[in-house]
Amino acid sequence: MPEGLVAVLNALPYVLKGSVVTIGVVVGAMGLGLSLGVPLAVGLVYGPTWLRKTIAFYVWFFRGVPLLVLLFLFYFGLFSLMGINFSAFSAGTIVLGLISAAYQSQIFRGAILSLPEGQLKAARALGMSDAKAIMFIILPQALRLSIPGWSNEYSIVLKDSAVTYALGVAEIMARTHFVASRTYQHLPLYIAAGIIYLLLTYIGVKGLRVLEKHVRIPGYSY
Amino acid sequence: MEAFMARSENDSVLRVENIRKSFGDKEILKGLSLSVKKGEVKVIIGPSGGGKSTLLQCINFLVIPDEGEVWLEGEKINHGKKRELYAYRQQVGMIFQDFNLFDHLDALENVQIALVRVKKMDKAKARERASAELRRVGLAEHASQYPAELSGGQKQRVSIARALAMDPKVMLLDEPTSALDPELIGEVHAVIKDLVANGMTMLMATHQIGFASVLADEIIFMEDGTIVEQGPPTKILLDAECARTKEFCAKITHISGDS
Repeated sequence: MPEGLVAVLNALPYVLKGSVVTIGVVVGAMGLGLSLGVPLAVGLVYGPTWLRKTIAFYVWFFRGVPLLVLLFLFYFGLFSLMGINFSAFSAGTIVLGLISAAYQSQIFRGAILSLPEGQLKAARALGMSDAKAIMFIILPQALRLSIPGWSNEYSIVLKDSAVTYALGVAEIMARTHFVASRTYQHLPLYIAAGIIYLLLTYIGVKGLRVLEKHVRIPGYSY
Repeated sequence: MEAFMARSENDSVLRVENIRKSFGDKEILKGLSLSVKKGEVKVIIGPSGGGKSTLLQCINFLVIPDEGEVWLEGEKINHGKKRELYAYRQQVGMIFQDFNLFDHLDALENVQIALVRVKKMDKAKARERASAELRRVGLAEHASQYPAELSGGQKQRVSIARALAMDPKVMLLDEPTSALDPELIGEVHAVIKDLVANGMTMLMATHQIGFASVLADEIIFMEDGTIVEQGPPTKILLDAECARTKEFCAKITHISGDS
């Protein structure tokens, strides 16, 4: 057996354990991004001017500063300044989540704005408060429309999670680098790492496609 | 005489006074007043862009008027108070030109949702009531179909059922058949006729002059944000005082050819 393949097979259990960590970071970040992104989008569309401006500032900041800078800024700077002692895993997940929230807010905002104005009007005409109308009429439709964009965001967060290696999170990239620097089998190992990322992308995107079909509104084409 | 005036004012279910609305520089409604008595049907006709739709939307504050007052059963509505506004809107059924059914809910859920979420009705009860309203508009078999699976006429009937489920004291209909294929108009007209026969109080904007003349107690001709003339259908349609009303009625009767 070629030397490279042996190195990959030997390293595989160790690297695959990293994929569990990677999935943890991605699920956590996407979850945080979702739970922040939805209210941010609602605020952007329906909020008063001061709120819209505040959210726009948030989005501008997290979309404008490089990922690595943000990771270091929060992990080595802001979190310690605030006296919070996060693990590298938690810090990486939170920072990725805060960034994803900025991007996700734009996905949801676009989806909300794409709904016909009459949906909100009809809800109001029935005596619903705006909060109820958003909760029961607007968001159920907007979230369905957001799944393709969300799937795209998933693949980006998955790839971005590799950068948390710089904080020392023991995910796929960190473990691959660790093994490669000892065995000097860089090429086969990084090919293996790349394949794992591709597979995770494929599984996630496929899963979201299934979800999209599952929640599709009958007779509705989009 | 004074006593009579007071009584007749109390009779009105809906009263609108001096409504004004501008969008930018353009004044859409120039101080309109009207009232609708219990069981009365008033139909607003007039050219598109004349403010009919804006007026109806101002009445339930989907568009906030710049000036003017709205009274429901003698109570002045303070639209600035959210609770009061929401309670008022529950009592005013609104039918839109393009239906505005909730696209993610099937027909039954469309009728049911406000009963559960606004009226806090028990789910099973709300379901029963929603089914009854769908039956009333002849759509019992379509309860589990989604808006995208229904024809325009069916959608509008669902939207009427949705409004009826709230037990409105008055209904506002904004050109309810304008977005429909000619062959689907009949089924919606039949439902509206049935409501009128059951004594529903209504204010309706429409271009269907023949339909209006049969149903209306009074026709209001509106143009450029003002009421030009109002009166019983025979008077407005056949013997209008104002030349502009005459001209409009002649045209629209000629086009629809169904007076």
